[in-house]
Amino acid sequence: MTFYKELIKGLWKENPIFRLVLGMCPALAVTTSVENSLGMGMAATFVLICSNIVISLFRNLIPAKVRIPCFIVVIATFVTIVDLLMNGFAHELHNSLGIFIPLIVVNCIILGRAEAFASRHPVFLSIADGIGMGVGFTLGLVVLGATREILGAGSITVWGDLKWTVAGYEPMILMILAPGGFIALGCLLGGMNHLQAIAAKRKGTIFTPPAHLDCRSCTLCNLGK
Amino acid sequence: MESIKLVAVLTIICTVAGALLAVVHDVTEAPIAAASVKEKGDAIMDVLPKCDNQPVKDAITIEADGTSWSFYVARKQNQFVGAAFETVSSQGYGGDIAIMVGVNADGTVQAIEVLLGHKETPGLGAWITGDAFRGQFTGRSIADTHWAVKKDGGDIDQITAATISSRAVTDAVQTGLAVYVAHRDRIAAVRE
Repeated sequence: MTFYKELIKGLWKENPIFRLVLGMCPALAVTTSVENSLGMGMAATFVLICSNIVISLFRNLIPAKVRIPCFIVVIATFVTIVDLLMNGFAHELHNSLGIFIPLIVVNCIILGRAEAFASRHPVFLSIADGIGMGVGFTLGLVVLGATREILGAGSITVWGDLKWTVAGYEPMILMILAPGGFIALGCLLGGMNHLQAIAAKRKGTIFTPPAHLDCRSCTLCNLGK
Repeated sequence: MESIKLVAVLTIICTVAGALLAVVHDVTEAPIAAASVKEKGDAIMDVLPKCDNQPVKDAITIEADGTSWSFYVARKQNQFVGAAFETVSSQGYGGDIAIMVGVNADGTVQAIEVLLGHKETPGLGAWITGDAFRGQFTGRSIADTHWAVKKDGGDIDQITAATISSRAVTDAVQTGLAVYVAHRDRIAAVRE
């Protein structure tokens, strides 16, 4: 039961992108297309699961004072292993993801989960946390990437084969440029708060957004009432 | 005493990590090298006209303006049909852009291929790899084309919002073509 709970919390309740608002640098940088989002998400998920396992295994041996350097070494090692293995045995995939792989080392979700979860929980639960957070991160990236690609390029292309175009739409290039990342993320965060506020109202309760995402001063959906 | 323990733990972790990486590197070194050789060979074959020799082996290196250029020669029934060369632009938006260019015997471009490893902005400059942009180089020669993007008054349609990347590719292809034209006879004379 606990395993299941840790597994699904990353999907919505503690979604790394939309609720924890972690790992924003890759989230804004690579979400110019669905393809990039998927690639980044999958690579990060793999590293997250591996680092969670190792850090959870050695959690009692790592002294608190040097835990951050230890975590970083473990994470960087896995990232380099993924990079090398992918380059050698899945060269095509490596070519599409190449520049994103080294970025995973500095992804705060991975260090964040090591610090907040894996170093305090047994391996079993840490694996669930890694899978859940990784899938949640991937989902978040794909939603953000799809929004930006549809608005900014007028089409969605995945691995060159699957292509879907919005007929008669003039792409708004701004959305695949850096500012578009912030705009799309802001709108999605606001939209999520709005949906949750409506759901809470139907249930007869009052929705309290996460402290750092508080938008109750806005009168649009009267969250404060 | 405590600091010794900290140092010891860090040292052990780093040593294990280093050893692990050494093993993985050892295992993957050969496949990575083979994959990148194959990638370059594939790019050469993609841009060349149909041929029956092995262009990767029939290569000539030419020095021009302080740069050395490798030309991969294509022949069909022992007739020179074209050559491929790699040209690099340092004027890209995100660093160097390497382009493989295939030329026909008459000096017209057969095809160009932007080699992987460029760092142009995804979703913008990265479209230089797309067919729509690359395709417009086919059939052009040094003489009949104004080698500049339309924004600069030339013939090449730049990618919207990625003029720098488009310009870099255009200039690099032109530079390479000029070297090819100047040394065409030497290139055409290459034999196994």
